[in-house]
Order: sequence, then structure tokens, then C-alpha cells
Amino acid sequence: MIQLEKISKWYNTNGARNFVLKDIHLDIEEGAFLSIMGPSGSGKSTLLNIIGMLDTSDEGNYRFFGESVFDLKEKKRTELYKKNIGYIFQAYHLIDELTVYENIETPLLYQDVKGSERKAMVADMLDRFNMVGKKDLFPSQLSGGQQQLVGIARALIAKPKLLLADEPTGNLNSKQGEEIMELFKKINTEDKITIIQVTHSEKNAAYGDRIIDLLDGRIQQNIQ
Amino acid sequence: MIKNYIKTSFRNLWKNRSHSFLNIAGLGIGIACAALIYLWVEDELNYNHHFANRKNLYKVKDQQTYDGTTYVFDATPGKLAEGIKTEIPGIKRTSRATWNSKKLFSAGDKSINEEGYYVDPSFLSMFELKFIKGNAIHAFDQLRSLVITEKMAIKFFGNTEVTGQTLKVDNQQDYIITGVVEDMPTDVSIQFEWLSPFKIYEDNNEWLQQWGSNGIITYVETEPNANIEAINKMMFGFVQTKKSESIAHMFIYPMERWRLYDTFDNGKETEGRIKYVHLFSIIAWIILLIACINFMNLATARSEQRAREVGVRKVLGAGKSKLIAQFIGESLIMAFIAALLSVLILVLVLPAFNGLVEKELSANIFKWNHLSALMGISLLCGLFAGSYPAFYLSSFNPVQVLKGLKLKTNVSAVFVRKGLVILQFSISIILIISTMIIYRQVNHIRQRNLGYNRQELVYLPVEGNVVPHFNAIKYDLQKTGFVENAALSRSMVLQLGSNTGDFNWEGKDPNKQVLITVESVSPEYISTMGMKVKEGRDFYSNIKSDSNNVIINESFAKIINRKNIVGSTVTWGDDSKYTIVGVVNDFVYNNMYGTAAPLILFTDTTSVNYLTVRFKPNSNLSAALPAFEKVMKANNPGYLVEYKFVDESFDQYFKTEKLIGKLAAVFSILAIVISCLGLFGLAAYTAERRTKEIGIRKVLGASVNGLATLLSKDFLILVLISCFIAFPVSYWMMHNWLNDYDYRVAMSWWIFVAAGLLAILIALITVSYQAIKVALTNPVKSLRNE
Ligand SMILES: Nc1ncnc2c1ncn2[C@@H]1O[C@H](COP(=O)(O)OP(=O)(O)OP(=O)(O)O)[C@@H](O)[C@H]1O
Ligand SMILES: [Mg+2]
Repeated sequence: MIQLEKISKWYNTNGARNFVLKDIHLDIEEGAFLSIMGPSGSGKSTLLNIIGMLDTSDEGNYRFFGESVFDLKEKKRTELYKKNIGYIFQAYHLIDELTVYENIETPLLYQDVKGSERKAMVADMLDRFNMVGKKDLFPSQLSGGQQQLVGIARALIAKPKLLLADEPTGNLNSKQGEEIMELFKKINTEDKITIIQVTHSEKNAAYGDRIIDLLDGRIQQNIQ
Repeated sequence: MIKNYIKTSFRNLWKNRSHSFLNIAGLGIGIACAALIYLWVEDELNYNHHFANRKNLYKVKDQQTYDGTTYVFDATPGKLAEGIKTEIPGIKRTSRATWNSKKLFSAGDKSINEEGYYVDPSFLSMFELKFIKGNAIHAFDQLRSLVITEKMAIKFFGNTEVTGQTLKVDNQQDYIITGVVEDMPTDVSIQFEWLSPFKIYEDNNEWLQQWGSNGIITYVETEPNANIEAINKMMFGFVQTKKSESIAHMFIYPMERWRLYDTFDNGKETEGRIKYVHLFSIIAWIILLIACINFMNLATARSEQRAREVGVRKVLGAGKSKLIAQFIGESLIMAFIAALLSVLILVLVLPAFNGLVEKELSANIFKWNHLSALMGISLLCGLFAGSYPAFYLSSFNPVQVLKGLKLKTNVSAVFVRKGLVILQFSISIILIISTMIIYRQVNHIRQRNLGYNRQELVYLPVEGNVVPHFNAIKYDLQKTGFVENAALSRSMVLQLGSNTGDFNWEGKDPNKQVLITVESVSPEYISTMGMKVKEGRDFYSNIKSDSNNVIINESFAKIINRKNIVGSTVTWGDDSKYTIVGVVNDFVYNNMYGTAAPLILFTDTTSVNYLTVRFKPNSNLSAALPAFEKVMKANNPGYLVEYKFVDESFDQYFKTEKLIGKLAAVFSILAIVISCLGLFGLAAYTAERRTKEIGIRKVLGASVNGLATLLSKDFLILVLISCFIAFPVSYWMMHNWLNDYDYRVAMSWWIFVAAGLLAILIALITVSYQAIKVALTNPVKSLRNE
């Protein structure tokens, strides 16, 4: 599904190249559950963003279902992206001006899903995450765990093939974190959604079937 | 999708209420202001549209060239109307008309002066008068018949059932009312309360039979598809076919241009009022531009707050175009709210505006062209003002904004923002300077020394027995102790109506005609007005002893240019010879901005129209005027005493300039208010952004004063730069404007400095409120917030 070849990214500081990622090679099969670990500043988020097509690399090749992502026009890339990828953040990043319902609904709007269908899909999601009673609340009226659930619901609503999560449990306590991880596991096995998560916790990383360890922009370890 | 956008937009607007308010208020004021101008311009452009047949209506203009300078008059010969109708193809109807003249009408014990014209019967149908009583065909069947307006009928009789009734005119003949017509609207060139057959006037004025005497107006209606060029070709030489030596060349001038053009410079049509119509249309657009700039500036300045939303939406799959659509949609929503607000503002200020421009404009929001203009303008503003922020916001990189890092201040965005503020303030300062210069020019001219003392001087038309009893009246007036002197004259002193090129004198180039103003006066004229005899003497008080003598003004003396002017002679036409007995100082007449044209004064009271009375200096007018009226009534019973002050009539000459000054003032105030709304928003935003920095600086020991200065400084620099842009531009603009006036004020440097200081002061007050507010906040609070 995902093939990264010789991916490098750098920033120029004081004229010198400062590598954030260096020669990353990575193959990810459909249905995998990958955890990315590594110390702070090692390039985890950067790598995730490149996979998520939000960022580009300075060197190397990225194939997504065989398509060479960096060669695509922006419009095409957005199309590919919104059909296939769901994103979850440590800081949830819900839209403050929209209710829980509307937040979950938003990705469907960008995919031009019809109104009735949309309603059904959102209702389904709310049901699945036990948030029917909270659908009219605004993000500021929810706890962190609840907000992250909304974030996950929002990422899953459009039935992506790939779910990217950057420290999804970073702002949650360990119990909430565990619940999220269980949920991920379920999504991965039952819905066959490929998951790539960035995490600092060994325990959370272990939910995945594969862990890669980044250090200074290089893959240090690749545990299947 | 749209619902989702609208929801976010409204919630966003509500969440940032004060910001939204500034934005909407600025735009609303801008649109209201443009709407006022629109109504004014529309009214000007629709002038005379009351006449459905206006495309075929003309008046005859008379063009005469003297010594290389061409003058254009409305005055035409009496026989022209009949002549061109029968001889020039394409001319359907013509009508002669006198100038607007006041007559005293009486019925029972009611006596009122009313204005009207003597016209030919064709006038009634040419101008499509709507008869309430009587009809256009038979109204003038009788000689002394009278068509009056509804208003006049009601004034005299209380109703319009008045055909067959009579009104006594000037205490002499009875005229029979044969028709009542609807009142003329205020926005047409033809204004009257009564009309009477031209024949009456013709019978009393033999000169109307001469092709060389121009003294009445000729109106023309052409055939619908007439070839105007061909008509004018024949008009040009028409008088010459009757009187070959005439220098009067006629042309027909369309009704559509009477209001907004109808000014001529050396025979060429120049911009008249249309100049101001254009000017204010431009100002309307400029004010909208200023309001839109606010919108853009506030939107981009607030972009940080929107950045995260942009990032999230992009991550959720929003393409750039969808985001652009969202932000433009938001600005459209704001623009439409602003449009609603502008309607409210418009309704509230329209009465005051009407008072200012002396019109009766109404908003008529539901008239289709008004509604579509309003919608069009708000759409345009929404699109224009929303476009830049939309492109700017939608270009954010989601990775960067979602990192939660503050956006690096985008250098080009800041540059644009500063540039826009400079543009706004430059325009505002230009408007302020222009307003000040227009006011000064109006004041300058109003204080002009005309060459005589125009204070305590009243004039009134002579009626009844005033002329034959003049000496008695003068005696009685002086006996009241309030009146210094009184004089008769053909014209009122500000507007001398007759001139001729028929004078000759020794040493004059026989091939050149010089246009000389001719005025007949009673011997007291010069002393009553307070003019000075520069050479020779004034007229003798015995009018007969000077019947072959004249007094000329300095300009004329300069043209004759010889030693011993006094005692030399001029001839009028072929035979009449006059001796110059004196030279009077140049006084300003007709063109209040110009210098005195050559003038010759005769003592002759056979055809005088005005009595001018000079009160003693500093006399108590509340006692003097009733005494004056009493004398007039006693000597001329049955007539009203309707007098005017010369200095008030003088002021009437500057109506347009005063109006322009007032409008310029209103619009420059609005421009600066809108600019300041924007500045206030920007300052609030900057203050908010720099709260943390201020907090740290305070902890490090900065003073409130120092901090307020720190925050205000940047904005003041922008205003200062605006000054340097505005100064040369407004100098150039006002230099051009003033150039139209021969008598004009100098552009002093202090006007520029004052306008600049004013702008800086206003900006400072606007900005410092925010600056001081932030500088005073407790640093612990602002730091903890981070
Ligand atoms: N705009 C930038 N300019 C220069 N360096 C940058 C920029 N953005 C990121 N970096 C650097 O890239 C490196 C990788 O950042 P990244 O966010 O991928 O780290 P991370 O592994 O996700 O760390 P954390 O666990 O703290 O989230 C960091 O060392 C950071 O300093
Ligand atoms: Mg990270």
C-alpha cells in the first residue's frame, strides 16, 4: 500500500543542511498496524505528515497504492488524500465553532456526500462511539477523552483505508489511552483499516503488529 | 456544505462580535455614504425627466463673437421663433417666452407676487402641461388670459374650480383664468406659477420686431427624427438671412444638457454641474474602497485565529477552492448585513442630507434599480473585500498551523496591510485638505471687496408709481433718519443684463467690436452704492442736464486708453454721441470671480426696474426696515414691498460652491471615521498579539507611557507617510480646481500642516485607547494566559 524510498527531508539552518529524515525506506502492507516511536525531535511527526500527504520530502519517492504522490497535482493529491486517509491529532483539533455532530460531518461535506446519506453515516458513528447524547455540544464542553473520540469518529466517518494518528493519547490519562488503543485494535482487525500511529508509550506501541524506532531521522529498529 | 459554512460564519461572527461590528459598521457606513451619493447623482441625471418628450426639446442659444472672444446667451430676437418654424425643416413647434418675471396678482383683498412667463400657446403642449381645468388648445384664445398652477389657485381661491375668475395684474388690468395646471416638480428647468399669452408682452415691446435685438427665450420642439446637425447648420446663418450685418449665430441646445452642462467658455461647451456629478461618483467609489480596505485588513490581521480552522479543514480534505469559497461566502454574508445596516443609516440620515443638498431625495429601497444597485454594491464589496483574505487564509500550510506554533508573521501580508492603511489615510487627508481649501475659497470670495459697500443695501423691483414718485419716496425715506440714499437702475447691481458691441470712440480699431455693458441709472446711483468717482465728476442731480453725458468704469477707460478721458466722446451706433464726464471705480458684477468688464452708465430712468436703498451704517434694521416699508406703502399703495439684501443675493452666487464644500466636509468626515474604525480594529489586534511581549516588558520594568508609545508609534508612522503622499496629490488637485476661478485664495502651507496634524491626532486617539489599555493590564495575568 505504502512504499517510501530514500525519503530525506532537511531544513537549512545557517547554511547547513539539518536532516530531519534521512534515507527512509519503508513498505507498509494494507491492513497493517504500525507504531512509530522515537525520542522527541527525531522526525516522527514529520514522517507521518509525509505519509499523510500534508508535507513533502526533499528527496526520495513515495508511492501510495502505486501512485507516485509527489508527482501528483495538488488537486489530484487532495482527491487521493480525502478518499483514503483519516487523521487524528494529539491536540484533537476539532473546529471550535462546530458541534460534535457538525465536526464529525465535515469530512463528508468535502467529499460531496448527499445529505440523507450523510445523516445516516453520522448517526451511525455517534451510535458506535456512544455519543448520541452529546451530538449538539461544542468541543469546549467535552473532556479531553471525549474530544479525542470525536476526533477519531471524524477521522473514520469517511471510511478511510489509512488512519494516521500523531500521539492520539498524548493528552489523555492511561485509562482513556487504553480505551483508544482497544478501539484502534478493533478498527484494524474488524474494519481492515491500516493504522499508523506515533507514540511515546511502549505499551501503546505494542498494540501494533509492527514498531519502527526513529532516531535522528533514521530508522533505528524495525520490529515485525 | 453551504449550511455548514453559514453556520461557521455566523458563529465566527458572533464569537468575534466586536471585530465583526467594526467590520460591518465600516462597510455599512461606506455603503450608506455611496448610496447617498448615488441618490444625489441619480437626481441630477434625472433632472428634466419629467418631460417625456425631452429628447425633442431645445432652447435656442445665441453666440456672438467680440474681439476674438465668443459669448453664448439665451437671448434671441422676437421674430426668430416664427421664422425658424416656417423656414427650417425638422422644427415642429416653437414658443417664445419671457424671462421669469414677478407680477403682483390681486383678488379681493389678497395681493401676492408670483413668478411666471409670457409664452406662445404652443408652449402649453410642448411642455406637456397637465391641465386640471381648461385645456392646452383653447387656454390662450383670449388676450388677457391666464393659466395658473394648482398651488397658485389654492393660494388665491382655496380650490381649483377657478376658470372664469379674474385676477388683477400689477393693479392694472384684469386677467381671466382659463386653465389650471398641475404644479411643476422641483427638478425641472421650467418653473412658473402663471403663464399668459406672449401677445400681451409683444404689444408692449416694439423692439421684438427687430432682428438686431435679442431679449427673449425661444424654445424649440423638433420632429422626432430630425437631423439636428442640419437644423443647426441653418440656424447658424439664419439671422443673417434677415439682417446681413448681424454677428448673432444661433444654435439649438438640447434639454438633456440644460441642467448639467450649459456653460460655455469662449463658445465651447464646458463641463457644468456634470463636473460635480463625476467628482462625487468618484468619491463614492473611493469611500467604498476605504471601507473594503478595512474589511481586508481586519480579516487578514485576524488570520492567526482562523489559521487552525484552515489547517483542520485541509486535513479533513478541504481543497483550496472550497476554502476560498468559504471565506468569500463569509465576507458576502458580512457585506449583506452591512447593506441592511446601510439602509437603516440611509433612512436615518436622509432627511438631514436632503436639508444639506436642498433636494427631496427618497431612498425608495424597493425601486428595482435601487435594490439592484444596493445588492450589486454589497456583492461587489463582499467579493472584492473577501478575495484577498480568502486567498491569503486558504494558502496556509496545515502542518505548520497545526503544530500549534504561532504563524510566522507573513512579511508580504504585513506590507499589504500597512500599504492599505497608508492608502486609506492618504485619501482621508486629501479629502480634509480639499474641504479646507474649498471652504477657504468660498469665504475668500464672500469677503471680496466688490468695489462698493454691499452691506445695509436693499433692492426691490419697481412697480406702480415708484418711478414717477421717486423723488418724493427718496425724500420720505431720508426723512425717516434711517436711509442715507436711494437710486433707480435698470438692473440690480450684481447682475447687469444688457451689453452691446455698438460703441465707437476715437482711436478704436474699426474692425473690432468691444462688448460694453450698458446700464441706465438715476443720478444717485454711484453715491448710493458707495462707489468712487476716480476722475471727473458724478452725475448732476438734475437728470436732464446729463442726458448726453455718460460715466464709464476704469476698465473701459483703460480700453479707450487716452489722455484726458474726461471730456472725450463715445458714439453709440451711427448717430448718438455722448461725452464722458467721469470715471467710476471698477466694481465686480455678473462674474463674481472675475474682474469688471467695461461698463458705461447713463442717467436715464425711462426703463428702470429696480430701486436700491442704502441704510445708514450700523442702523438698527429692526426699526429701519418697518420705517422703510411704511414709506413705500404710503407712496405706492396696493403693492407689496418685497425687498432683498444685496449681500444675501451675493451669497446666492456661491450656492454650488457652498454645497460642494458641505458635501466634501461630510464625505471627508465619513472617510476618516471609516479609516479610524479600521485602525481601531488593527490596533486592538496588535495589542492582543503583543500582550505577552508587553507583559514581559513590564516585568522588566517598562513604564506605561513607554509601552503606549511603543504600541502607537508604528501606526503614527503610517499616518505620517500618508501625509507625504496626500500633500502633493491634494496640492495638484486643488491647484486645478482653483484655476477655474480668477479670484482665488492662495494655498497656504499651514492648511496642509493642519490637515496632517488633524489626521495624526485622530489616529493617535484611536490607537492610544488600545495601547493604554494593554499597557495597563496586569502582566501576571497576560503571562499566565500563555
Ligand atoms: N520549520 C522548521 N525549521 C527547522 N526545523 C524544523 C522545522 N520544523 C521541524 N523542525 C525540526 O524537525 C525535527 C523533527 O520534528 P518532528 O516534529 O517531526 O519531531 P517529533 O519526532 O514529532 O517530536 P515530538 O516527539 O516532540 O513530537 C525537530 O528537530 C525540529 O526541530
Ligand atoms: Mg511529534
